[in-house]
Amino acid sequence: MNQSNAPIQIKPKDYKSAIKPVWCPGCGDFAVLNAITKALAFLELPKEDVALISGIGCSSRIAAYTSVYGFHGVHGRALALAAGLKAAREDLTVLVAGGDGDGLSIGGNHFIHACRRNMDMTYIIMDNRVYGMTKGQASPTTAPDWGDSKLTPGGTGIRPFQPAGLALSAGASFIARGFTGDPNGLARMLVAAIEHPGFSFIQVLSPCPTFRPEQMNWKHHVQAFEEETSSDPLLAAQRIQADDGMSTGIIYQEDVPVFQPGNGGAPGDAVRFESEFEI
Amino acid sequence: MNLTQKITSLDTFLAYSIALEEEAADRHDELADMLDVHNNPGVAATFRKLAHYSRLHAQEIRDHSKGRSLPVIAPWDFDWENMEGPETADIGAVNYLMNTAQALQIAMGNEQRAHDFYYQFSQQSQDPEIRAMAGEFAEEEKEHLDLLKMWMDSTDESVDEQVYDPDPAHMPE
Ligand SMILES: Cc1ncc(C[n+]2csc(CCOP(=O)(O)OP(=O)(O)O)c2C)c(N)n1
Ligand code: SF4
Repeated sequence: MNQSNAPIQIKPKDYKSAIKPVWCPGCGDFAVLNAITKALAFLELPKEDVALISGIGCSSRIAAYTSVYGFHGVHGRALALAAGLKAAREDLTVLVAGGDGDGLSIGGNHFIHACRRNMDMTYIIMDNRVYGMTKGQASPTTAPDWGDSKLTPGGTGIRPFQPAGLALSAGASFIARGFTGDPNGLARMLVAAIEHPGFSFIQVLSPCPTFRPEQMNWKHHVQAFEEETSSDPLLAAQRIQADDGMSTGIIYQEDVPVFQPGNGGAPGDAVRFESEFEI
Repeated sequence: MNLTQKITSLDTFLAYSIALEEEAADRHDELADMLDVHNNPGVAATFRKLAHYSRLHAQEIRDHSKGRSLPVIAPWDFDWENMEGPETADIGAVNYLMNTAQALQIAMGNEQRAHDFYYQFSQQSQDPEIRAMAGEFAEEEKEHLDLLKMWMDSTDESVDEQVYDPDPAHMPE
């Protein structure tokens, strides 16, 4: 029990917008929204110092439901937008969010490069192993034998991505897996991710009760990793491979130089670029 | 060690009690919003009312705490038996077709768990002040439960009702 006497001034609710989420009742994404607002309140970050960038999908609607700066972007391009924003406004706390389809199908290339680029931002993939918004097609994290979509009768037959393993091999410096059934644990994980200097990635197991109703049983399968966070990529890789994809915790964290255009030789004075494009 | 042994000061017990009620109120509001958006105003109003009651109870506990300096505890540092407070409704328990009786059934489960939480402290805490306060709160939760039972008896809906939607909003493709 960690009890500090410093009063928390800002309430999680202060980070919610007046727009009511249109997510289906019971959707895991509600818990992600709650965890983000709890983390921001804990860190007492002024709203105007935070931006939440998202792509397209049910999960990507999240940007509209917070009161921080938001950009509901283009499908699969949330990380590209976020990189541009961070390059221009290093002072902002940049959060990026979306689904497994948005981040690992159409946005897969941006994902691996964001991992290795290591700009200081936090990326949340709400993984429900389905395309929710387009009515239930298989995504890159769907099991090969899931055959509930007419588009893939009998299943895709294709091995799914392991988002944590992918992030590790692409060079991410902070990798965690959370679960919406534990919104408070997820909030704590988000605090650690936001505080991490560099690219922090959280895969959140976020059930879609509408197209994957069986995921409502995840609460009986999810458990915390027994091991501590590792800074050794080999150990982290072993943990990821040995796991069934349902263990939660911060898997890997390492201090790596943070990339910021203008620092360390990379070109990129945003103000200069802006003046070049002035009409 | 169970929670009744871990919480040894009245201030911490009160901080837990306020968090329990506030988290429940926020969840009830959240469920009300979900049902509002999905055009189920009757059930939305029920959850809204339940949020109001949890908030009243939180305020009452805050009044009891006047002049005391309660610890500030981060949401994840509460040592709840489950992942959320005992009165917090399961976010996955709702659906857009549910009726008021089904909403009340969820609420009764929440109140029962809150009652059991306080009752346990009233029986097992080592601190006589905590025992007395917890006994009072347990009694109030019992009253809420009785009110919910009366409310349930007055509805002509059934918890077993399965509403069929011939044109559901979400059909897998
Ligand atoms: C360029 C482009 N291609 C395809 C689509 C159609 N589309 C919208 S959302 C989506 C996938 C959403 O899945 P996911 O990212 O997993 O989010 P979820 O809805 O499950 O939260 C697709 C393919 C689109 N909007 N734009
Ligand atoms: S379709 Fe699935 S992912 Fe989309 S809002 Fe509904 S439950 Fe959530």
